[in-house]
Amino acid sequence: MTTRQVVTIQIDGQDVEVDASKPLVDALHRSGTDVPTYCYHPGLSAVGSCRICQVEVQMGEAPGRVVVACRTPISEGMRVFTSTDKAHAVRRECLEFLLKNHPLDCPICDKAGECDLQDFSFAEGQAEGRSSEPRRSLDKRKSLGDVIVLDEERCILCSRCVRFMDEVPKTPQLTVSGLGARSTISTFADRPLTGNYQGNLADVCPVGALTLKKFRFQARVWNLRKTPSTCGECSRGCSITNEVLRNNELKRIRPRYNADVNEWWMCDTGRFALEEHSLEGRLAGSMIRGEAGMEPASAREGLERVADALRTHGQPVLLGSAWLTIEEGQALVALAKQLGTEARFVTPPPSELADELLHTDDACPNRRGLTEVGMRAIDAAEALEAIAGAEVALLIGERIIETVGAEALAELPNTVRLFSFDTVALDVPAARAALGTPSSIERDGHWVNVDGHRGMLTIARPAPTDVATLIQNFESLSRLITPAETAGGAAS
Amino acid sequence: MIPANETYLLNRVQNKGSETLASYREHGGYVAIEKILKENTPFDQVIEELKDSGLRGRGGAGFPTGLKFSFMPDPEKDPRPRYLAVNADESEPGTCKDRILLREDPHGLIEGILIACRAIRAEAAYIYVRGEYRKEYNNLFAALAEARAAGLVGKNIAGSDWSCEIWMHKGAGAYICGEETGLMESLEGKRGHPRPKPPFPAGFGLWGQPTTVSNVETLFNVPFILNRGARWFRTMGTEKSPGNILCGISGHVERPGVYEVPLGISTRTLIEEYAGGVWKGRKLKAFFPGGSSTGLLPASAIDTPMDHDGMKDAGSMLGTAALMVLDETACTVRAMEVVARFYDHESCGQCSQCREGTQWLYQIFRRLENGQGRVEDVELLDSLAHGMAPGKTICALADAAAIPTHAIVKNFKDEMMEHATLGRCPLSHDHSTKEKREPAEAGA
Repeated sequence: MTTRQVVTIQIDGQDVEVDASKPLVDALHRSGTDVPTYCYHPGLSAVGSCRICQVEVQMGEAPGRVVVACRTPISEGMRVFTSTDKAHAVRRECLEFLLKNHPLDCPICDKAGECDLQDFSFAEGQAEGRSSEPRRSLDKRKSLGDVIVLDEERCILCSRCVRFMDEVPKTPQLTVSGLGARSTISTFADRPLTGNYQGNLADVCPVGALTLKKFRFQARVWNLRKTPSTCGECSRGCSITNEVLRNNELKRIRPRYNADVNEWWMCDTGRFALEEHSLEGRLAGSMIRGEAGMEPASAREGLERVADALRTHGQPVLLGSAWLTIEEGQALVALAKQLGTEARFVTPPPSELADELLHTDDACPNRRGLTEVGMRAIDAAEALEAIAGAEVALLIGERIIETVGAEALAELPNTVRLFSFDTVALDVPAARAALGTPSSIERDGHWVNVDGHRGMLTIARPAPTDVATLIQNFESLSRLITPAETAGGAAS
Repeated sequence: MIPANETYLLNRVQNKGSETLASYREHGGYVAIEKILKENTPFDQVIEELKDSGLRGRGGAGFPTGLKFSFMPDPEKDPRPRYLAVNADESEPGTCKDRILLREDPHGLIEGILIACRAIRAEAAYIYVRGEYRKEYNNLFAALAEARAAGLVGKNIAGSDWSCEIWMHKGAGAYICGEETGLMESLEGKRGHPRPKPPFPAGFGLWGQPTTVSNVETLFNVPFILNRGARWFRTMGTEKSPGNILCGISGHVERPGVYEVPLGISTRTLIEEYAGGVWKGRKLKAFFPGGSSTGLLPASAIDTPMDHDGMKDAGSMLGTAALMVLDETACTVRAMEVVARFYDHESCGQCSQCREGTQWLYQIFRRLENGQGRVEDVELLDSLAHGMAPGKTICALADAAAIPTHAIVKNFKDEMMEHATLGRCPLSHDHSTKEKREPAEAGA
């Protein structure tokens, strides 16, 4: 890591303090100057091959030179001109070459709307091309494995994908093969790509050449509502953006830059955890035990059942999910205190997906946060043991049923009164009521990752109607179990 | 009549067994390096001698050799290992000068390498030999083995405490590997993609270490300069381009071949005296003075002196002094179609302008020659070449394609226009006997 050295340079007439350990293009972007880049990516080595980031630079009295900003070191007193006629002209020339063989199939391209080439062509390009030559005709759907599909025609050979594989997960698998305009991106002997970081290739690709098989033809990107959030698939807690389509379906998860946690990247486990948020089988309102088994009811009715049980039976067992936010954890600890019991959270078994880059072996996104608010971590076996010896047990938070194990819960005698707050219904003999709860894209709050960084959750879509937040439910429960005279006394 | 100029480069190649150590020794070989080692001549003295001689690189760019050697960092301050990379990847169309030296006088090159390594304090040299040069590779390989056996290469050279290794590497047929940074990438076992500069090879070269890259003919000149002195060297050639140069003459001449001439000689003398004039009694139409990357000049430029400045003033370049002659029956558009096809084929594909531009130029030249040209193509070609160069890409391959394109538009615009307006080649060449290459856009 190079250390930061602050120097003053002039960008388009404005004095700006910039970090001289970074290439010039970084300073331009940080100062809000819009210079296009294709081969340059701040997270990868700079090769200076696409030549689109050309700007004019003047040192002292020497005449201005046109340079590629991504390969130009910054020096004190440098004067940079990004929008002189000359700078515009060289970038336009370069763009014309880049478009020479580009198929311009934007209307059917998944990248349209967030494509650097499209944006820059719109801003600077000429409406008509001067080339009447036939364009390259190459493979438009070359599979690169389970995750990525390559459109060779759209590729502008920036080599970001090659460098990503070499430099970030350090699993060199891609290369440029062939010479000149016959070059294509390929793997050795057309082997499929492997590894848990392939999805990033679609992010680093500045055009629509590398697309996700799972996102292909799923949505136009301008119809996606984007909200910042945090990934819950391991204790790394990568910063992400949840992208939801108009019908509230979560269509895409993408990494969001966070210098302290995941920089620009995320693993495929997190990226494709879309099913966790599927609207299918979601529990709205509640299910309560009637004569014919579990029957739908309102959330209010469900909550009253919980309160009844808490009032009549002592020593309830409170088991939180590892996905609770710190705010939910605090509220649960307060509730447990009121009930004279302990709040614990149940941890899934260690993950086997741990790697050197991002993924940890701990599947709990908020182990640190929940521990800090005073909850104790237990595993599923210990949780079941606790439940089995109790009269009343509350399973609280998304994925709690899955973590403790629906099959194991089904074995419990119905002397145990089980109540659940999960996104799905608990339907086992011991279950007395099951209440719906918002998933991690339907609520806000914070998780604390393995290194102590706070990640925020924001509401990407509304929870199903008649689903209250856990904190609201805890407050309601607290009121419902407080003896009436005490409540009246407190009010007077 | 070939003028009686002093020669030195090709004197030994006439000898029988010139490629052997015995023959080289017999004609004063390895004297210069042995003297340097015996007298322990200071490094900078060697470099000063080269600077004084005014020797300019023979690889095409004409950069002063002594100056280039002096760019290597001071080993006191920078103790990293240092290398010499020898560019024997001679692949510029029309150029065949290094070939004769590699094949017939390999020890001359080895001595040049040793002196250069001594001057830049390199511990090893890597010779990158063009893959097609099999005989040349074998002769150089045998010479190296002989020199090693005689204690002239390897540990404690000629009984001194100085050691220097020389390794050989065979290219695999890519023109771009003759570009100095592409050559280094290739030597390292990677794709021959030129590196952006800076950093320059003297600071960050082979395996990231200080490296000097030098051409075969340049290094071949070095022992002569040290044996006979910078002043002797300056008696040949011109003030700014001293010495003799190997000039490969090809194309429509009576006696094509490699000739040793003093720099600054008139192109007319070369064509008319050395090469026996344009063949079949025809008239000269045009010539590439220094390989396909240099601008095509019209017959009227025949009195241009063959040196760096003379060719620059005439709107072209000396390049590798590979003179390619076109007679009056030749079509310049067809010539450029061939040249453009070459660059389209050889562009490494990194830089946008070069990758797409070389293909585009070829497509247009081919169209023009085959009768589908338009009048506006002439303007378009010039404008595209302007978008590709100068200095707009990582290496000079885009420039190499753009320079002759600018030159043909400047010097042979009428002929191009005629192609467009007639809808055919006015010289009605029948190319049908030659198999047409698959269209470039057909893809990989």
